[in-house]
Amino acid sequence: MTEKPESYEVAVERLEQIIDRLDSGQAGLRETLELCREGRELVAYCAAELDAVGEGLKELNLDELAARLEGSPS
Amino acid sequence: MDLPGPFPVGRYAKTLRDELRKRARVLLIGEITGLRQTSKQAYFELRDREGAVPCTIWANDLERLDLPEGALRDGAEFIAGGGPDYFTGSATSSPAFSFRVTQLRLAGEGDLLARLEALRKQLRTEGLFELQKQLARPALPKTIGVVTAESGAARRDLVVGLERRGWRGTVIWGFAPVQDRRAAPAIAAAIQDLAAQPRVEAIVVTRGGGSLADLWAFCDETLCRTVAMSRVPVISAVGHERDSTLIDDVAAVACSTPTHAAEAAVPLDCVTARMALERSAAALQRAADGAVRARTPHLAALARGPGRALRRERLALNQKTREIRAASERGVAERLGFQRRVAGVVLERAARRAAGPEMERRRDALRRAAVALRAHEPERTLERGYALVEDQSGAPVTTAAAATAAGRVRLRFADGGVGARVEEEDA
Repeated sequence: MTEKPESYEVAVERLEQIIDRLDSGQAGLRETLELCREGRELVAYCAAELDAVGEGLKELNLDELAARLEGSPS
Repeated sequence: MDLPGPFPVGRYAKTLRDELRKRARVLLIGEITGLRQTSKQAYFELRDREGAVPCTIWANDLERLDLPEGALRDGAEFIAGGGPDYFTGSATSSPAFSFRVTQLRLAGEGDLLARLEALRKQLRTEGLFELQKQLARPALPKTIGVVTAESGAARRDLVVGLERRGWRGTVIWGFAPVQDRRAAPAIAAAIQDLAAQPRVEAIVVTRGGGSLADLWAFCDETLCRTVAMSRVPVISAVGHERDSTLIDDVAAVACSTPTHAAEAAVPLDCVTARMALERSAAALQRAADGAVRARTPHLAALARGPGRALRRERLALNQKTREIRAASERGVAERLGFQRRVAGVVLERAARRAAGPEMERRRDALRRAAVALRAHEPERTLERGYALVEDQSGAPVTTAAAATAAGRVRLRFADGGVGARVEEEDA
């Protein structure tokens, strides 16, 4: 990927711009292929973000985290 | 020491007590802390953020008030009526100041609301309602913190809400009591600890419904200031009535139920987002395919007649080459002409400069020739007394025979001419 998007919402916004531009039919061949490549990268990024919160709810306890932090030597 | 006295201390203590007892009797409102009861009296402190007063009430006064069972407890908000008193002590017992309570009742909704309004006004004036609202909330956080009671419907409802959104990230639970005097400090500490975890992107604070007194911990000034100053957005879902607690005012988002809080914590519905993403991927694929297909006829035409296309391109190329050459020749000729003109002017000027002395020499020679020539002019001879004989046509008559033959002649003197007739010599 050329550059990792700032966030999911930024990625989706850019993706919508790209699809609007493609739908307008005004993009030339070179631009179209370039936009499709960028769009596929954004789709891949968003899919990975969704996958990251799709595995299964993970529950942690703050007290245990705090205890672990206090117990760690540093 | 220039002061009155010394007075016996016991008598002074009694005077002090009498002075204090003269003070006006008032109603105080605050939270009960450090409650202990003996057979004769009950002791507690009435406390709020700015200070506290030690209170005492006689056991029989307390009984007469007929408070609900368990109402008088630490953390409860009470209104106490009475006035300052001073136990003077004795030779063996210690003195003590206290607010002698004769009336005591649970603070009502109205009392709490009045205090809440004052506090709300103050925090709003300080701009603390705006801070959380200015924080960016990620659409898809991976980790959220939740402050709630370990056992309670709120916890379960929140998890259900997250599941419904298709979100299965990481939840860090910060369990805390949500209703008593320990609640507010414990909730504030949990929020601070969660915010200190770098991966926590949003914090939900939730508990189920209750009376304003039950939810009073969520109106605690210190807790609300902690929420306002948190670097992580806090989503509150306390009770069922919106805007009844102060934490709702300072939070980034206030929700009416834990389920709504789940939606606010994870603004993106992962289920619909996934479908939208699939649609986007399909749209991209269509666009890519379409772009190539739309240009296929043109490509095909090129493929069918490569020779013709090549000829056309070559013609165009030749034409261009000719144009370029012509333009360049014209350019050269123009430049050459210009240079020639420049050279001509330069040479002429140089020649003129070089011809100067030669011309002078020639002019001299010419002047000398003119002087020599004038010496031979007939006019100069006529001035000396000679006359020139001309015939009628003006031609010189140079012999006597010619003069006789002419008959009439013309004599030209230096100052003009006269006619004359030739006569035969007698001799």
